[in-house]
Amino acid sequence: MTSTTVAHKPVRWGRVALHVGCLLALLVMLYPLAWLLATSLKPADEVIASLDLLPSHLEWSNYETALDGVNDVSIWRLLGNSLLIAGGAVLGNVISCSLAAYAFARLRFRFRGPLFAFMIATIMLPHHAVLIPQYIIFNQLGLVNTYWPLILPKFLATEAFFVFLIVQFMRGLPRELEEAARIDGCGPFRSFFQVVLPLTRPALITTAIFTFIWTWNDFFTQLIYLFDPDKFTLTLALRSFVDASSTSAFGPMFALSVIALLPIVLFFLAFQRFLVEGMASSGVKG
Amino acid sequence: MPGHRTKGFCASAAALALCAVLAGCGGSGESAGGGKVVLRYTWWGNPDRAERTEQAVALFEKQHPNVDVSTSFSGYDAYKQKLATQAAGGDAPDVMQLDYRQIDQYASGGVLLDLAKQKSVLRTSEIDRGLLATGRVDDVQYAIPQGRGTETVAYDVQAWKKSGVPLPGKSWTWSRWADTMRALAKKTGKPGATDPGQSEDAFEVWLRGRGKALYTKDGRLGFTARDLTRWWTFTDTLRREGAVSPAEQTTQLDGSVENTPLGRGTSVTDANWDAPASGFVALVPTGVALAPMPSGEDGTPGQYFKPSMFVGVSANTGHPKEAAQLVDFMINDREAAKILGASRGIPVNETIRAEIGPRLKDFDKTIADYQASLEGKLKDPPQAPPSGDNALQSTFQRDYDQVSYARMSPREAAENYVTEAKAELRS
Amino acid sequence: MTTTAIPPEARRAPAAAPKRRPKREREGAAWVFLSPWVLGAIVLTLLPMAVSLYLSFTDYDLFNPPKWVGLRNYVQMFTEDPRYWRSVVTTLTYVVIAVPLQLALALVVALALKGMKRGKGFYRSAFYAPSLLGASMSIALVWRAVFNDGGTVDNLLGTGGWVNKPGWALLAVALLTVWQFGAPMVIFLAGLQQIPAELYEAAAVDGAGKWRQFLSVTVPMLSPVLFFNLVLQTIQAFQVFTPAFAVSAGKGGPADSTLVYTMYLYDRGFVASHMGYASAMAWVLLLVIGIVTAVLFRTSRSWVFYASEGDR
Repeated sequence: MTSTTVAHKPVRWGRVALHVGCLLALLVMLYPLAWLLATSLKPADEVIASLDLLPSHLEWSNYETALDGVNDVSIWRLLGNSLLIAGGAVLGNVISCSLAAYAFARLRFRFRGPLFAFMIATIMLPHHAVLIPQYIIFNQLGLVNTYWPLILPKFLATEAFFVFLIVQFMRGLPRELEEAARIDGCGPFRSFFQVVLPLTRPALITTAIFTFIWTWNDFFTQLIYLFDPDKFTLTLALRSFVDASSTSAFGPMFALSVIALLPIVLFFLAFQRFLVEGMASSGVKG
Repeated sequence: MPGHRTKGFCASAAALALCAVLAGCGGSGESAGGGKVVLRYTWWGNPDRAERTEQAVALFEKQHPNVDVSTSFSGYDAYKQKLATQAAGGDAPDVMQLDYRQIDQYASGGVLLDLAKQKSVLRTSEIDRGLLATGRVDDVQYAIPQGRGTETVAYDVQAWKKSGVPLPGKSWTWSRWADTMRALAKKTGKPGATDPGQSEDAFEVWLRGRGKALYTKDGRLGFTARDLTRWWTFTDTLRREGAVSPAEQTTQLDGSVENTPLGRGTSVTDANWDAPASGFVALVPTGVALAPMPSGEDGTPGQYFKPSMFVGVSANTGHPKEAAQLVDFMINDREAAKILGASRGIPVNETIRAEIGPRLKDFDKTIADYQASLEGKLKDPPQAPPSGDNALQSTFQRDYDQVSYARMSPREAAENYVTEAKAELRS
Repeated sequence: MTTTAIPPEARRAPAAAPKRRPKREREGAAWVFLSPWVLGAIVLTLLPMAVSLYLSFTDYDLFNPPKWVGLRNYVQMFTEDPRYWRSVVTTLTYVVIAVPLQLALALVVALALKGMKRGKGFYRSAFYAPSLLGASMSIALVWRAVFNDGGTVDNLLGTGGWVNKPGWALLAVALLTVWQFGAPMVIFLAGLQQIPAELYEAAAVDGAGKWRQFLSVTVPMLSPVLFFNLVLQTIQAFQVFTPAFAVSAGKGGPADSTLVYTMYLYDRGFVASHMGYASAMAWVLLLVIGIVTAVLFRTSRSWVFYASEGDR
């Protein structure tokens, strides 16, 4: 990475050590994932009881059961619903949070300090405390049992985490760029879209990835707001295999959680590449 | 130039806001099924129960072409949380499955409809009086029991036989039970049972065997710190002797049969409700059988037939009659009963139970036979526990944790619990 | 709190931009950018927050109308509820363990990957993989198996199970969080990405070695992102719920050792139906996190460097 001229040998050894270290760390890191995968193929009497990594024989029927979906709702339907919600959330967060972040990071307006403090404070209240008031609001709006309670808040930048994230990135950008743009006659809108936004891309991609994964896995909100099984998501379906008051099906649940993992893995793999390109590839030189 | 943009932005922001407002005028979908009455019906349970319920509901819709039932279900814990949120938001479903512990709270909170008002369409004559009374709060029938269950000692038949200890008979006292567990532990090298000290349910059976109850009729605590100290000393001693599971295993209980010591293969028996005990079949492939719960030293039975679940109707429903018809159908309809089988426990309607009994297969039959063997021997169930019990159930287990991890003596923990319980029941 | 949490830039604003004419116009522009946030903040955030603040002064069982009880919930919490204080201690312990470990791991891995020419994408994905799972039920069951008596950790270290011992269970929960360090790692990586290569080149020309470059370029340029991660991870750690809930199967056991603050709050609110008490707990937590965050913001002035202000 650096252009310092260092003797050849030590560098190479350093590289090797780095790779060996990373691979060893990965071995530990990925072990529980291997366990997850192996468990999804265990027969019922081994899923919990066995403390061995490998199943005594491969129980593919777990996957058959999981692929059947839940009752009349096919797995494709569940997958589609999950994708719709996660996709909508990504769109909403990227748009609304970057807009709000730009205002907080770069524009001047009255009460900016107090409003910023308020925004940070909204992250601090445990969401269980506002669950019921929020439910009542959505119920009054007639939006319960629709996807709106899951998507609309994202379009209204309610996730201060991401606003704050993008603010921090924007404040890391040298101001000269916009000043140059302003001298060229750019208003705040053009300098937002043409100068700041392209440079904040790593933060936007980060927002997209996190939003997708967190929305995908957000069991609670989906549970509260969705009623019809037709509207259920993969994450909700996962839990329906487990019911403490009757017989559970842990094997198929593990199988379904492996299946539910695939789309987020693909999403991550697709988007993480864009994280690589930083300032250099954005074509901007300081 | 910037001004121009501003307008565009304002317009789109306004449109967004308008969307939100307009959507609000859409109404809450009370009866949007093209002139049909729409009922929302929810329950907890596994996919099998869901499948059978939906088949039965389809039959109901066929018989009542003017009614459209939209159904939903989730696992027990998730269901409780969801229903509480819905009810608090004034949005409880028209017909809902309820647990024994929920009845008092939902009834006194005004969530449930007085079902006596729908007598004309909802028959209760074929349900045992004592059982039916469990759905009553302040003499109002707020819920109808939907299935019957009772506690049992499920055991690994092969492991027990191998040990040479005589198999359990038709009844046993708590001290006989304790001796047997000691013998099993000695012979098999693993604990005889799950430590019952953490279970409020097991404590209730023990307490009833001594002629007492968890709660008095007016919803106060029905026992003293001395009773609880005695119980926890009893289980604490057994645990120290290795006759029941150690704290490290007991703490891993999460309600599922898979995570019980028996399910993990680390004990010979487990006290559980009879319906979930069917889950052991897959976990202990060599065979599981059911024995009754221990009784008091003078033979007083402690266990009772408990409604495994109830069904109630929302006080806010727009269609009380149709909702009551659905409840009646789920409980009293013969065709529905054929579809539902024992998926909600053994049916409460006595005619249907007699009719369904011989048709049950596999473990459902085991349960039915087990219940039949107790028929006529048990005392009436207590009335639904007061709402504070919801909190106390977990407090009970937490306080006992302090005993089993040897951080408190049984007496200290019992006094703690009784203090907490009194405060909880007052509020 | 209000005064300390203002971004430093805002505080300097009046001095920095004394006389720019199109001020009103720019203020209008700011509100346009903010409009979705303002709408959401009022309807979906401020309103529910106000309701929960009100409920914290009431006795509310979810079903019957709330009854005003003044400060009783707060008094009861501080003076009559030993379990409350235990949950406070548990949560503080968790914060102290999980936050530094997770941040250090995320930073070390991000720095290691930064200098890598080959396999960067692979490593980044692989290290992120655990974070894709969240604390789902299946991963909780895996955790309970791996950290059980006779499980992998027991076999390797001979410590016995962790999840079933009061002294160890919280560590197993914290490790679940630490294990999922993908989010701060990706944020660090994105931050490292943003540092202009010219700065390193310039430093190298000045004769700075790798370590000097790290101290004089990487650290200051990364500080806004480091600050972000520190603040957010601290806030999230105070509110930890899902990992503890999942690993202890919703019980907070063994012997209350993983009963963290928000789990106890949930237990009071939704299991015991004391929503007023739970709301009071929520507001005390907000206050505490607010103070901690304010302190962090205050110290940030001395170590966080913003490029946009560097030359003013």
